Amino acid sequence: MAFNQTVPCQPSDPAADLRAGDQLVEDVGVGLSGSLNLRRTALRLLTMIRPRLADWAMVVLPGDRPGALTIVGGDDAGFHAVISASGIADLELSRVLRTGGTELRHVMMDSDAEADLANMIPHPRLAAEAATMRPADLLAVGLTARGTTIGALVMIRSEGRGFNPQDVTVAERVATRAAMPLDSARLYEERGRIATVLQRSLRPPSLPSVGGARLAARYRPAAEHLDIGGDFYDVHGRGDDWLLSVGDVSGKGVEAAALTGRTRQSIRTACHFDRRPEVVLDALNTVLFDEHTKDFVTVVCARMRRDADGRFVVDVASAGHPAPIVLRADGRVESVGVGGTAVGMVAEVQYRSVTIVLESGDTMLMFTDGVDEAMGADGLYGVDRLLALLPRYAGADPEVLCEAIEQDVLEYLDGRQHDDIALLAVTCGE
Amino acid sequence: MRRVDERRKPLEAYDAALASGDTETVTSIVDGLLRDGQEPVSVLTDVVAAAQREIGRRWQRGEFTVAQEHAATATAVAATRVVSNHIRQVPLTRGRVLVACAEREWHALPAMMIECALRAHGWDTTLLGASTNPLRLNQYLNDLGPDAVAVSCSVLGSLPTCRRFIEATTASGTPILVGGPAFGVDDVRAVALGATAWASDAHGAIVAMDGLPAVVSPAAPLPGERTAEQAALESDHRRLVARLRERWSLVAAATTPDADCLNSVVDVADDVLHQTLHAVEAALLTGDHRVLPETAWWVDDLLGTRGADPRMMVELVEILTAAMRDYPVAASMLATHFVVPDDWRREATVGE
Repeated sequence: MAFNQTVPCQPSDPAADLRAGDQLVEDVGVGLSGSLNLRRTALRLLTMIRPRLADWAMVVLPGDRPGALTIVGGDDAGFHAVISASGIADLELSRVLRTGGTELRHVMMDSDAEADLANMIPHPRLAAEAATMRPADLLAVGLTARGTTIGALVMIRSEGRGFNPQDVTVAERVATRAAMPLDSARLYEERGRIATVLQRSLRPPSLPSVGGARLAARYRPAAEHLDIGGDFYDVHGRGDDWLLSVGDVSGKGVEAAALTGRTRQSIRTACHFDRRPEVVLDALNTVLFDEHTKDFVTVVCARMRRDADGRFVVDVASAGHPAPIVLRADGRVESVGVGGTAVGMVAEVQYRSVTIVLESGDTMLMFTDGVDEAMGADGLYGVDRLLALLPRYAGADPEVLCEAIEQDVLEYLDGRQHDDIALLAVTCGE
Repeated sequence: MRRVDERRKPLEAYDAALASGDTETVTSIVDGLLRDGQEPVSVLTDVVAAAQREIGRRWQRGEFTVAQEHAATATAVAATRVVSNHIRQVPLTRGRVLVACAEREWHALPAMMIECALRAHGWDTTLLGASTNPLRLNQYLNDLGPDAVAVSCSVLGSLPTCRRFIEATTASGTPILVGGPAFGVDDVRAVALGATAWASDAHGAIVAMDGLPAVVSPAAPLPGERTAEQAALESDHRRLVARLRERWSLVAAATTPDADCLNSVVDVADDVLHQTLHAVEAALLTGDHRVLPETAWWVDDLLGTRGADPRMMVELVEILTAAMRDYPVAASMLATHFVVPDDWRREATVGE
């Protein structure tokens, strides 16, 4: 992918030059406001100034770790390289980066030209590329925003088209305009890196493959763009003995997601020792109560064990969470009769489990209240609507079932804001 | 590499397994084709996508329930995953691309196939699932800084959000490729919405991606009057569907509790009303009138296969026209263009 390159006629009218300069500064201001990604913002800047301000250009920006610099530019839009800031300390470019000032060089086209250029263009491929432009002038301008010089814009004009003082002024104004959106993008990326790493640990897990059963899940947080929320699902275990959990932290967004992470870890640890759902819930309750968190968590846990006939015996216990629904292979639906206090609220709770059996083609659906409490134009979605939807998916793959529910609920919402939504379905039979 | 059409037998076996929801057979057939050296993208377009179109036709003819159609789609998703796994080792030689479905686009499969095809050609792909809102797309645009975005639209109802995707993407200077049945057979709608490029299928997408510019300008605003009417229609959609439902005697006539659910016209009545209103919105948004006769033909055919009274089509046009009283541009477009062209009917008859 190469930039379009057309060599403009040199305007000779100073007033027209001035207007063109003003227009470019204005275009850069508007054009760079649309992106918060550092590389995309730099690419945009480079396309806007070529060829109006320069025949060739590159931008030096902060890298993704301390002491690193990123270089974007040249003829190949895909090109970017990371160099070390200390490695260029002796080059002229680093003076621009230190002072934020402007440096104009007339390039002599002799054998030393490339060495000359390398002082400002600290990458062999780019320096070689620049040399083929038969450069007349090289102009480097610091990019300074919020009191700090964050980078530099390096431009070249070919033979017969040097930078006059007015061009230098325009270049400095362009740099001033560009520096602020570039710095905003830098700040955003820095924050984004922190968030991404933390977010990764809070994302819903990928489902393990469970012998003799099929699993499917869906997750739609209230803040859909964040990909994380206060609902969760997990599947732990091995062989013929598994623990499924679905839960919901009171509250929404990032704070809820953080508590979700601790809750999931506690469940994981508890079920390492004992997979009985009432024991897992009891352990979770003690841990969260002792933490004195102001939020509470509702959870439903189901331990499923495969018997010799390939059926699953499922022990279910709930802590204030909507009861799972069983969809039989023949289309009958039933709610699993479980109830209990949400975890983290009182010191001692006795959780009790009930046992159900899933035969081939039977599905158990676990969900959060983002489903039944979805608020549409006709009020709440409601468990009844869910119960009415399910029979036509009797015997279907759990993936199909989850997709159908998600679609039905979102269409019911018709674009309205919703709470976190989580679904976990398990069907007996491969 | 052999061409796929030399191997009729696996295709027939694939169709049969797909129709009966036999995921295991479907995935093993796809695995076999790939092991035999079939080109992965052709397996997607000539086997998986082709069979999926046949499933759609079966639903159209009333031979498949929605649940069966969903099951077949889940199986096709599994088939696509086999191809994805097969090409996972292809080195990343091109840039980063974000593949997305706009809101109301619940058919994640086409986007999944495009993602797979682009990955097979060395693109570093990130797939956002079904029905993604513009806020989430924006988040990924800023976080990933992709070299391009690719959007798949099967249903007309997803075009309004697709336009918002185009605005968001081009505002960041990123090029955007669009495609899918909602765009029709050429690039007219894509150009009208301000997309950077359009592709008719996975092969086209691969070619189009290589031709995208590195940086694009923000998409130009859409014509004011039409767009304002489209926005009003969009927010009024639910109320309009409810009103049309009340007035269309097709719905009233067919609400018997023990109607055969496979052939029941009431099952399709809602689809018809949603689709028709979305077609009107699409025409307003893109200025492409062809979407109206196309939809009229689809509705007419659907009602015909479900054994509805032919007068129901006439009645639909009447109640639609009445409902569009507050929407002058839409009303005049409907009056002129929402008809099944005579030659289309003739072709259909000859075809049978």
